[in-house]
Amino acid sequence: MAAPSMKERQACWGARDEYWKCLDENTEDASQCKKLRSSFESSCPQQWIKYFDKRRDYLKFKEKFEAGQFQPSKTTAKS
Amino acid sequence: MKRVGLCQVETSLLSRGESTRSIRPMLLLIWAPKAWHRLSPLKPPALLWTPGGEAVHVRYRLLSRQGPGERGRQTQPQGPGFRTRLLITGLFGAGLGGAWLAARAEKERRRQQQRTEALRQAAVGQGDFSLLDHRGQARCKADFRGQWVLMYFGFTHCPDICPDELEKLVQVVQELEAEPGLPPVQPVFITVDPERDTVAAMARYVQDFHPRLLGLTGSAEQVAQVSRSYRVYYSAGPKDEDQDYVVDHSIAIYLLSPDGLFTDYYSRARSAQQIADSVRRHMAAFRSVLH
Repeated sequence: MAAPSMKERQACWGARDEYWKCLDENTEDASQCKKLRSSFESSCPQQWIKYFDKRRDYLKFKEKFEAGQFQPSKTTAKS
Repeated sequence: MKRVGLCQVETSLLSRGESTRSIRPMLLLIWAPKAWHRLSPLKPPALLWTPGGEAVHVRYRLLSRQGPGERGRQTQPQGPGFRTRLLITGLFGAGLGGAWLAARAEKERRRQQQRTEALRQAAVGQGDFSLLDHRGQARCKADFRGQWVLMYFGFTHCPDICPDELEKLVQVVQELEAEPGLPPVQPVFITVDPERDTVAAMARYVQDFHPRLLGLTGSAEQVAQVSRSYRVYYSAGPKDEDQDYVVDHSIAIYLLSPDGLFTDYYSRARSAQQIADSVRRHMAAFRSVLH
């Protein structure tokens, strides 16, 4: 399977950006963005979709982490 | 601490009644306050801001507290004119400022020298490599002697990082190309996925970036050897139903000097502008050890 060309890469990134914008607008509610999700899935190789999904999770986690939503537990008694 | 010291110097010198004609640095602190004292009702402090302004301003604030002592001295003989005093204070301030800037530049230069030396001692990229370029020609390290090389390790099936880093690398090359008098930099892309990145695949890939971008591939052993030599980590991920996979790998752009020696590396965090500036500095400092 040949690697995507520059055009194909850019089409994939565009679809991903649209999908992510939709997720941002709908606070991660994937059910609102089904159409963009299928467009994203058809533009990108499967491996890339998995990679971008993980990347999205990581970026969201990083946002929360930097906003201080994760605090170390006060006690280690029961851990 | 400094403030107290200055105040003590002022009062002790004042009490000894020293002549104001001498231009020794310590005495600047005496007739400088005279100038400021006279200037203060005439000009706002902002105009007195010279490069050494900090030191001067501190003196102004400190010494303006010595009002009563100073007024007593105004019955003294004239001494050097007001303009002369202002000029000499200004020169002193400028001298301080210049010395501070020079010290800062020297510190930066020394830091870069130490970094270059440390990188050289790390001895990355020792030993030869033998690879195929995207036209099918065999290439070894000696082929690049005499040129500056910016090298990146990646793979053609890379989702986003490799295209971004290659774009950045190409931007650096283009920026340096536009400058007359600088030697051309050879951009090189080496694959960490020799299984899929054949000569044809590399040729298709590099054409999207820059006409001079050279793709290098080879057998699994050859790629393993060059990656080891340049301390590049890579690890192919699990294959999916399409037999597709991504390769996890360390991300860095390497700079090789015309002697073929590893000179510097640039992480993902560095911008094209920062890399171009760094390459320019290395070019300026380069002295060949081979002829």
